[in-house]
Amino acid sequence: MDYADQFSNDAISYTLEESVLEISFSDALIRNVALQSISEVVPLAETDANVRATVIRLYATHEDLEDSNALPTHLEHRQPQGSHGSGPLLVQNALGALFAANKPQIAVLDGAVDGLSLDLATACDLRIASESLKICDTRVERGEAASTGVSYLLPKLIGQSQAMRILLLGDTLDAEEAHRIHLVHRVFNDADFGEQAEQFIQSVARMATRAWQVHKMQVHGQMHLDFESAMVHSLGIRQTHVINDRLEGMKAWRERRPPNFTGT
Amino acid sequence: MSDQSLLVKDDGSVRHLILNRPEKINAIDYAQHLRLMGEFEKVLTEPHIKVLALSGVGRGFCAGDDLTASAFEGADPYAHRKVDLEMGSGPTVLLESCAKLRDLPIPTVALMHNIALGSGYDYSLSCDFRIVNQSIRYGDPRIDRALWAAEGWSYKLPRLTNFSLVSRIAYLGEIMDGTTAFEWGLAHLVVDDESDIREAAKPLLARLTTQSSHSYAATKTQINQSLDLSFAVATGIS
Repeated sequence: MDYADQFSNDAISYTLEESVLEISFSDALIRNVALQSISEVVPLAETDANVRATVIRLYATHEDLEDSNALPTHLEHRQPQGSHGSGPLLVQNALGALFAANKPQIAVLDGAVDGLSLDLATACDLRIASESLKICDTRVERGEAASTGVSYLLPKLIGQSQAMRILLLGDTLDAEEAHRIHLVHRVFNDADFGEQAEQFIQSVARMATRAWQVHKMQVHGQMHLDFESAMVHSLGIRQTHVINDRLEGMKAWRERRPPNFTGT
Repeated sequence: MSDQSLLVKDDGSVRHLILNRPEKINAIDYAQHLRLMGEFEKVLTEPHIKVLALSGVGRGFCAGDDLTASAFEGADPYAHRKVDLEMGSGPTVLLESCAKLRDLPIPTVALMHNIALGSGYDYSLSCDFRIVNQSIRYGDPRIDRALWAAEGWSYKLPRLTNFSLVSRIAYLGEIMDGTTAFEWGLAHLVVDDESDIREAAKPLLARLTTQSSHSYAATKTQINQSLDLSFAVATGIS
């Protein structure tokens, strides 16, 4: 599938290189058309064997408030009539698509990351940052409420105590602090951020993608299950998922060499 | 199959279950899962035992699943649960064994030195407390071999730590040392590498024996059950 040609537009662009689908916004504003696109493209990547990781680049990006009143035609019937614009429908759909994908989803955070970019990052499995990252959510200071899904995701990612600090106090965290509370997983020097980030992304894309999916399927599937139901869920997944790479994994282990996984 | 593969030693009211296959760094095979599960069931019938501690002899606590194990010989009580042609009923037994450990009403403590990987790590997630030494290698590297566990880690780990760390521990398969396990909230105590882990754990184990069994069991059950309940319902059952 040619993601660049088929799905890029003036608000968002896609590239597929070395099994990594990369999503970049065209300017500092995240527009509705870009959010709509994410919710369409990410599910396609999930079933495309050529994609083994998705990367979303978030830098100095925030919501396009002027654009936020307009919903695309197919969603016009969901346009609320109140004073709160179009509501968070498109953002929720985009976050939902990232969160529902079981392949590795990686957010690359650079510079000042606020509001909607934070939301998108919380729907990913991994967040990697440049050392000059400043991450925050200033919506509360503007009298807005994030209804994007971040209030659900963030407390699960870092615990409610730290989530309160970001979402309700509007604290700005630097990279070190974001790493300390596990909001970001890796911090790289500004000087070689691009190179280091790329290396890390490639290392994830070379992993046993199918095994990653099955791990994640268990975790996400069991978020709201009670213990007994979760055990049944685990056994169900055990019975119904076969990973081809398992043979290569065992072979490489016996031969004491790094595995060469296909991701299937 | 020797009965010496799992040592059972009582120190006062502390029951030590000690993995004893040092030649395999205590890697756990099918028969060992069955022995462990049998002991978890048995301790329920022995009211004088106040604390259960899990540890290992030799170079490390547990190297994980015994991938070199030959087929299980003998009557397999779980033959009717065989779920996967290649893996046999191993995952089912590990799941049930871990669930039995988690449900024990008495304090359970994993005493892990040097190596605690795979199923050793799985068992530790079912314990109430985890003690490690400083330079331990602790975690689940199965994903590096495109394997995965279905013993319940996916329910337990996000509730013991948080979802952000699940990405590192489970998806990336990062191996923790003592300091990391402590910082990430999984280990409750880190002891020196020079210490004998069972000796070093004695004060904590002794303290746990002095707790009221009834109050410990009631509190532990409430915590475990409340994970699945709303606040209103959880406070209602208390």
